[in-house]
Amino acid sequence: MFEKFRKKSPWILHYNAGSCNGCDIEILASLAPKYDLERFGIINTGNPKQSDILLVTGPVTLKSRERLVELYSQMPEPKVVVAIGVCTCTGGVFRKMYNVKAGVDRYVPVDVYVPGCASSPDQIIDGVVQALAILEEKSKDIEKPKRLFGELTNNSIFTNRREMAKKIKHEKN
Amino acid sequence: MSWFLALFAPVFGTLVSGIDRVVRARMQRRLGPPLMQPFYDMFKLLDKRPMMVHKLHIVLGVMHFMALWASIALFMFGGHLLYIIFTHLLSVIFLILAGYSVRSPYSHLGANRELLALFAYEPILILMAVGFYLTCGSFEVSVITSNSPAIVSMPLMFIALLILLPLKLKKSPFDAPEAHQELCGGVEIEYSGFFYEVIYVSKMTEIIFVYALVFLFAGQNILLGIILVTGSFFLVNAVDNATGRIRIDHLVKKVYATAFVLALLALGWISYV
Repeated sequence: MFEKFRKKSPWILHYNAGSCNGCDIEILASLAPKYDLERFGIINTGNPKQSDILLVTGPVTLKSRERLVELYSQMPEPKVVVAIGVCTCTGGVFRKMYNVKAGVDRYVPVDVYVPGCASSPDQIIDGVVQALAILEEKSKDIEKPKRLFGELTNNSIFTNRREMAKKIKHEKN
Repeated sequence: MSWFLALFAPVFGTLVSGIDRVVRARMQRRLGPPLMQPFYDMFKLLDKRPMMVHKLHIVLGVMHFMALWASIALFMFGGHLLYIIFTHLLSVIFLILAGYSVRSPYSHLGANRELLALFAYEPILILMAVGFYLTCGSFEVSVITSNSPAIVSMPLMFIALLILLPLKLKKSPFDAPEAHQELCGGVEIEYSGFFYEVIYVSKMTEIIFVYALVFLFAGQNILLGIILVTGSFFLVNAVDNATGRIRIDHLVKKVYATAFVLALLALGWISYV
């Protein structure tokens, strides 16, 4: 009954999982008056219990992963996760380092991947708007991270066309 | 008429909040959300999976809203001004108890700050009621609204109320109790989904309560009342955009140094001038 209003007021939770702050600055730029994400009804709440979209930046460091999963599980369904920046999608240049795990989709189910180092505000807005379409169709069931349980992320959306053709490959280790 | 105003006060408050967000956006030279955005937020919150901390927390939140709505209803039916202020105080105390009833440190900190803010503004509201009694000869709202405008005899009290407006509406520079960037909403942090809806609606109802107090200063002159409410609405938004948050202890000191002194002076003005 109220499904169509999900799209009209998505509240954002932004979490930095060990990012270099590049993507965070771009997220804040897209919320600031120039790009003005509030015209879609988007607010940066900072409170997991009242938000619908989780924007994650950074390769997930071992210190931050518990908090990431904690924040994700505190968000009430329906919710979507947008991975912002190439580190968050695949691990980027930090892939296979001793203190990070490759990408955020090992721990939480990711719906939209927004690559780029750092992702530009245009890309972030595009990713968020595509996430809204997914949010409208989601159910209130609890989801599991597909990659951790051995399934590939076939339903995920990639904002970069080249990556979209290939999807994300499994890491070796 | 009073039934209509009392019943639909939350709806009017939501509408005012929508206008408020658009005005604030236009002051920052951006487009801003649609006018009906707070309604969309409410409908979306109804659609979320229910999650609660414990029952008492939810019950206190609902009681906060009911007490606030009761105080609005008392106002619209022309009740006793002191009863209205104390019913409102009761509603704030329910919210503070809700903040203390969960174990989140953010919620506790928010409740502490809410209590300090209450300590700052409550005496001034009571002094304001005393001022109305001295000018109009009664605490009844129906008598006050049938008298000549009270702003003529106590302009300083009106300025004191203007200082309180950002504090009651949780706007800069007095938004330390809510503090979205550091406390993520303070007392309301543990509410989610449908249960947050109650708190959200009561925030909207609070707007009506505050502007009703502003309207009271116009007495029987409805046109003057509309001018006062519109003027204070734009003033509050301009101040919200132009200032940053001040610390909670500075908040209490500044409110006492300005609004409390002004309210006392206004009472002296009525008695001796």
